Amino acid sequence: MTARISRWPGIELRAADLIEGKVTQTRFRPDAKYAWSAGEAMSRFLEELQNGRFIARTCHKCERILFPPRMFCEECFRPTDAWTFIHDTGTIETFSVSYLDTDAKRITEPILVGVVSLDGASPKMGMMHYFGGMTKDEIRIGMPVKAEWKPPGDRRGSVLDILYFRPLREGER
Amino acid sequence: MTFLDRTTDARKFRHWEGNVEADYIYTSGVAGERFFIALRDEGRMLASRCTVCKLDYLPPRMFCEDCFAELTEYVDVAQAGRVAAVTVAHVDRTGAKLSHPQVWAFVTFEGIRGGLFHRLLVAPKLARAGLSVQARLKPRDGRTGTIADIEGFEPVHSRF
Repeated sequence: MTARISRWPGIELRAADLIEGKVTQTRFRPDAKYAWSAGEAMSRFLEELQNGRFIARTCHKCERILFPPRMFCEECFRPTDAWTFIHDTGTIETFSVSYLDTDAKRITEPILVGVVSLDGASPKMGMMHYFGGMTKDEIRIGMPVKAEWKPPGDRRGSVLDILYFRPLREGER
Repeated sequence: MTFLDRTTDARKFRHWEGNVEADYIYTSGVAGERFFIALRDEGRMLASRCTVCKLDYLPPRMFCEDCFAELTEYVDVAQAGRVAAVTVAHVDRTGAKLSHPQVWAFVTFEGIRGGLFHRLLVAPKLARAGLSVQARLKPRDGRTGTIADIEGFEPVHSRF
């Protein structure tokens, strides 16, 4: 209430009054079902993760390779043209050393997260993921990395089919 | 598919299904409370009265629509009403086919503004506007203070 108003007009009801049925009421549970789709491009992207590879879309007008794939080119305002596979190697664009886990709980051993731009896609096109196989002191921007995939049988068509991106080894591609 | 073709079924792609928990409790309000309590406890149907405008409202409301006065007086609605409009439903509110068509009617009462929308307890081929009808109530122990305390409206039995 405010300094001038000690009581609002009307009849106050507490939650308990409703639950105890002190007033007549209508209860209803709408059957509000939904199906949320990842869309055409992202669905294909997720399916290909299960196959252990990254897929992108090309736009023939601006000649870019868009990753993650999308069905519409935001530069040219036109539908994209073709599917193309890109590499599972890339470069760390940016990273964070996080002392909070995914539930925002404090942790002592930090997790490394960041954006990796992937080889074969247009510059700066990439995704966010975990980094592993390196310490918080070793990680740096520009570091070449490669996806560490889960074993094929454990993949579910989720971005977590990749465990993390690890440093690219000598002679590896 | 180009971007001009709309995808109307999300399930064609990778998707997640769910159900929005949008439960609600809707209270009857001050005037609605009077109406449902009288209906439940005494089997009466009440209208609220505006003495200035000489108007009765059904369902009762707390304020006069014409003069905005607060309404505190309640009067009994006449036993017999008149069917103003009918509709025969073949599907339920979810769109599923009904085993038997249901007849619904808007029932008005002489001299009262408004009316009640409810089941009309006649065969579909007999449903028509102009019928003289009266409410058939549930027995007292079956009444809970909702509009379903009225089972529906049935024709007033003629004396002839």
